[in-house]
Amino acid sequence: MKILILGLGNDLLGDDGIGLLTVRALREELGGSEGIELVESSLSGLALLDLLIGYDRAILIDAVQTGRAPPGTIWRWRAEELGSVRAPSPHYAGLPELLAIARALRLPFPEQIEIYAVEVADPRTIGGALTPAVRQALPELVRQIRERVRKSLSVDAIPEGQPGKSQAGRTIEDG
Amino acid sequence: MSRREIVIDPITRLEGHGKIHIFLNEKGEVDRAYFQVPELRGFEKFAVGRPAEEMPQITSRICGVCPTAHHMAATKALDDLYQVDPPPAAKKIRELVYCTFMVEDHALHFYFLGGPDFVVGPTAPKAERNILGVLARVGLEIGREVIGVRKQLRDLITRVGGKVIHPVFGLPGGIAKPLTPEDREAFLAGADRAVQFALFSLKLFEDIVLKNPQYVEWIRSEAYTHRTYYMGLVDDRNRVNFYDGWLRVVDPNGREFLKFPVRDYLKHIAEHVEPWSYIKFCYLKDVGWKGFVDGPESGVYSVAPLARLNAADGMATPRAQEAYEQFYATLGGKPVHHTLANHWARLIELLYAAERMQELARDPEILDPRVRTLPTAVPREGIGVVEAPRGTLIHHYETDERGIITRANLIVATQNNAARIAMSVDKAARSVIRNGEVGEGILNLVEMAFRAYDPCHACATHALPGQMPLLIRIYNPRGELVREIRRD
Repeated sequence: MKILILGLGNDLLGDDGIGLLTVRALREELGGSEGIELVESSLSGLALLDLLIGYDRAILIDAVQTGRAPPGTIWRWRAEELGSVRAPSPHYAGLPELLAIARALRLPFPEQIEIYAVEVADPRTIGGALTPAVRQALPELVRQIRERVRKSLSVDAIPEGQPGKSQAGRTIEDG
Repeated sequence: MSRREIVIDPITRLEGHGKIHIFLNEKGEVDRAYFQVPELRGFEKFAVGRPAEEMPQITSRICGVCPTAHHMAATKALDDLYQVDPPPAAKKIRELVYCTFMVEDHALHFYFLGGPDFVVGPTAPKAERNILGVLARVGLEIGREVIGVRKQLRDLITRVGGKVIHPVFGLPGGIAKPLTPEDREAFLAGADRAVQFALFSLKLFEDIVLKNPQYVEWIRSEAYTHRTYYMGLVDDRNRVNFYDGWLRVVDPNGREFLKFPVRDYLKHIAEHVEPWSYIKFCYLKDVGWKGFVDGPESGVYSVAPLARLNAADGMATPRAQEAYEQFYATLGGKPVHHTLANHWARLIELLYAAERMQELARDPEILDPRVRTLPTAVPREGIGVVEAPRGTLIHHYETDERGIITRANLIVATQNNAARIAMSVDKAARSVIRNGEVGEGILNLVEMAFRAYDPCHACATHALPGQMPLLIRIYNPRGELVREIRRD
């Protein structure tokens, strides 16, 4: 089983770097583990196709601005649910299409792709630091993903989770 | 028609969206429509105090869509800053890599962005107007080829920069390392594949678009036509060049109006600020700002594929030149003012970039190991230009004697087009809004207007092209919001 943990974002752009910073934190704990690959990328949407090929499962980590939750909220989605999620982030508007393309062209894509997206305040100021609420969400995000990965590797089947969102440990079930 | 005070709230939680604000008059018609792309803040502040030598790597990370363009413009600004001329092999390798990037980017945008409008059709249901609809029309083999070519070309670029988070390629006075014979073989293979890909893409365009009278009529329609000036880089023989040359401007009748080195850009290009926007609209100083209007009296100009073809006298490679001639013969001569023709012009440029890759890869000098001239001059000011896929891109740095930046300015491609894009959106909005009723097709007609320009949108660092989220707000004569349409 090969799992990809992919942090997306741009660490020059303040909160937009949360995905990359999360991967760096995870690398300290999970780096070098069998069957797990940790990757950071700032590239644009179609590059996801190249990056995701060859893995059984993938976890994407990124910033999002839905405007429907306070900054620091952690959203969790499965890729195929994005089409029906209310107000999907522009960052993932392309992901269901990529999945469809991969299927149509029979490219070896992960069977399951999960997205952990952090609601951010400012992903647009060049040279900006993480805003406080986003910085505070980082340890919880690392914890959730670490647990997710451990569960994936220790059981054969990933349980079908509901899309959800959580704030500092509280998971709010939301459709 | 009474004048309303126009207040645009610049602070919105939806900052990642392109914003369109439409103001209606008492008759329910469009008085004015404004279009803003999301903008990155704080570049100058961020750059000041940093070594200029960091700029090629830093600026390439600002934009996830055009990293190579920023890298190259920054590198050339450093050449100028240190007054150093790279050896011939370095320039050729830079241009080879740059053309590789242009092919990859143009290919991506034609199939993912222009394709859905042209190949599937502007009136097709939205669910089909995407890359999957395109694949359904052109077949899976072509789909695999688009993905495959792109990957092969991206791997070439990664190869020269190193497979690291922060690739090193351009340096002041040259590049980091020469090309090996293996590298050159890889580029040749990529170039050959790219030329074939360009040729069949043009053939596809001819078969699906040009042979369809409805599409051609739509390209020519007045709703998507503006008669402005055009600007692009040209070589010594006034042929399109993406990497270097002179900035040439032609007037709406196609006559050369200006030709200048980028070092003089401030003499000719100025920025106009509208009270309702934080966006700065570029215009030609020698003509002056006359508002958002067409014509030779207005300083509005345009960049990117259509503009580059208009501003040049031809293409520097044979098959691209043939395509160039066919383009103008079909559309009634030079210059072409139809915004949607950008999609066709993009394919002609794709062919040129691919042929140019072949030429450069076959050039014996490309293996010369002398790829760096060490800078010795004291730095003060440097300006660099390239033609990014979306238009002319300028980097301008001022430094102290240690090369630390004291001032920096970027003119990104879309800033050059900002006024014309606003005009296009305005025209599209007017054609669908009557008696205060917003037509069903407004979103798509408006999107098509700016999609042809393929604007830089910083929020698209992860999104697929064409996925710019859009927010349209419609205000009545009293300035009250009457309708909001959001496309996330």
